[in-house]
Amino acid sequence: MTNLLQALLDGVLNGGVYGVIAIGLTLVFGILGIVNFAHAQFVMIGMYVAWFAWHTLRLDPIAGAFLSLLVGGAIGAALEYLFVRHVVKASVVAQIFLTVGLIAVLENVALIFLGSDYRSVQTAYQTQALHLGPILVSVPYLLAFAAAVIMAVSLRFLLTSTWTGRAIRATAQDEQAAISFGINTRKIYALAFGLGTGLTAFGGGIILPYATVNPTVGAHYVVLMFTVAVLGGLGSTTGALAGGVLVGVIQSISTLILPVQMKDLALFVVFIAILAVRPQGLLGGVSR
Amino acid sequence: MKRNLLVLAALASVILLAGLVLEPNGYVVRILCIMLLTASMAQAWNVVGGFNQISLGHAAFFGIGAYIPTITQVAYGLSPWLGMGIGIIAAVVLALVLSGPTMRLKGPYFALATLAAAEACRIGASVLKFTGGPQGISVPFVGDSWAMMQFRFPGHYLPLFVLLFLVSCTTFAWLTASRYGYFLRAVRDDEQAAEVAGVATFRVKLLASVISAALTAACGTLFAQFTYFIDPETVFSASHVSIRMALVAIIGGVGTFAGPILGAFLIVPLEEVLNATLSEEVGGLAPLIFGALLIAVVLLRPDGLTSLRLPKVLRRPEA
Repeated sequence: MTNLLQALLDGVLNGGVYGVIAIGLTLVFGILGIVNFAHAQFVMIGMYVAWFAWHTLRLDPIAGAFLSLLVGGAIGAALEYLFVRHVVKASVVAQIFLTVGLIAVLENVALIFLGSDYRSVQTAYQTQALHLGPILVSVPYLLAFAAAVIMAVSLRFLLTSTWTGRAIRATAQDEQAAISFGINTRKIYALAFGLGTGLTAFGGGIILPYATVNPTVGAHYVVLMFTVAVLGGLGSTTGALAGGVLVGVIQSISTLILPVQMKDLALFVVFIAILAVRPQGLLGGVSR
Repeated sequence: MKRNLLVLAALASVILLAGLVLEPNGYVVRILCIMLLTASMAQAWNVVGGFNQISLGHAAFFGIGAYIPTITQVAYGLSPWLGMGIGIIAAVVLALVLSGPTMRLKGPYFALATLAAAEACRIGASVLKFTGGPQGISVPFVGDSWAMMQFRFPGHYLPLFVLLFLVSCTTFAWLTASRYGYFLRAVRDDEQAAEVAGVATFRVKLLASVISAALTAACGTLFAQFTYFIDPETVFSASHVSIRMALVAIIGGVGTFAGPILGAFLIVPLEEVLNATLSEEVGGLAPLIFGALLIAVVLLRPDGLTSLRLPKVLRRPEA
């Protein structure tokens, strides 16, 4: 019983972070209608930004994650302006391969400039845990979870209660109507793409206290983040958070039954099964 | 189609003749083998990817084709020729099993499902005992033998690779020229319209994916015999196998007969030159350039490099 509760808690804490990583992906899809295969590389970018903030400014990675948000957002908006906007109306083949090309570019630019070594941070709370009766709550996971939830709530506020947020949602619903209301949808696309990559980079920053970064770390998150986004319904931001928690729980429960190395295997099988049954997502209604 | 096959036959003969002249243990002949293998892999991918089913999981079939003959040879001393047959059957079975959940998926969803399937195979291969786990397995050395598909010098593999190249290219040429080619193009352009017009879309797509899986598995077998060593990270790799197969076909010209050939004959030598001249200083430069090249092709030449060429033989065989 304790094991199960512990696994549930670990799953929820991990899953909240998965949620914030996947929110960016699902936001980009919801607004631009593009599945960005290079999105996981922004986890890597966010981790590096937070690492450098910690290394040079002695900034805690959770605080550094806000820098990750800015840098990841700026890089994303620039990529949208330079490349992605040309394929928004193009075929799916072009969309997939443009973003697959971006994977290679982002990973290898990181490899050339930063080298292939693994980097990690040391923080005071890294190995601490709170005792809730027989259950242990790891402090770095708890902090990351809290940061993720705060960020998700802020995004919700941005999208529902600000002019920019309403403009973003209007563009997603009907581009022509948005244009006729005086919204510069070109700017909104770049903004939304940047917001999406920035949020994912933020997710990268907050996991740094318990994860290591190298140029190919994105590959570990790619199927995971797509699983989360598809579970929650691609395009649904609230769905992504719920999907994240669900994936976190599936992962940690499966380690109770299966060997640890197979936790992703269970996840991928679930992923394919869900795609087959409900490609529009378990929780989301419409895909766009 | 006739013209394509004539060009193909001429190309194959030139390569075979070159193989007779070149140093069998040399660098050039090794590159030729890799070029032929890459072209065959991209052509195999083209059978499905050329018709809007963007698979990012062909490493699953490649890895199965590499692992099964190696395992059966290590465990039972079976000839890789037989092993290849078993590997092909296994890959076809996997393609059939996967078609259940994936066949109706569109665009990015199909790409994601195939990607996840290959990743599941990679994890499977590194967890299971009989695959040798993450350390991988080596092909036992038996010396020069056609029966065991093994030679000391890379040059002696050349006829095998030429054969693989011919089989995969003629299969693509046959498939696209046959009535299935018309069906596939109809499904690619408008699946619902094709369905209404009486095309059994599910069966047509299934046929393509089974053929593609079988060819990819054969490529995997030759790869394992050629390199003597396989591990999950190499043969089930998303970036080094699945994405690379697609990338070569796209850069050359997706859905065309000449695209994968042109793509492979351009990219492999370029990769070698870049790696030979630069790798010591900057590791990631060659893949960076291919990523940039892929982006450039997608933005500037969505039909690939074959669309730049004037000779009719290299043009897209449109229906």
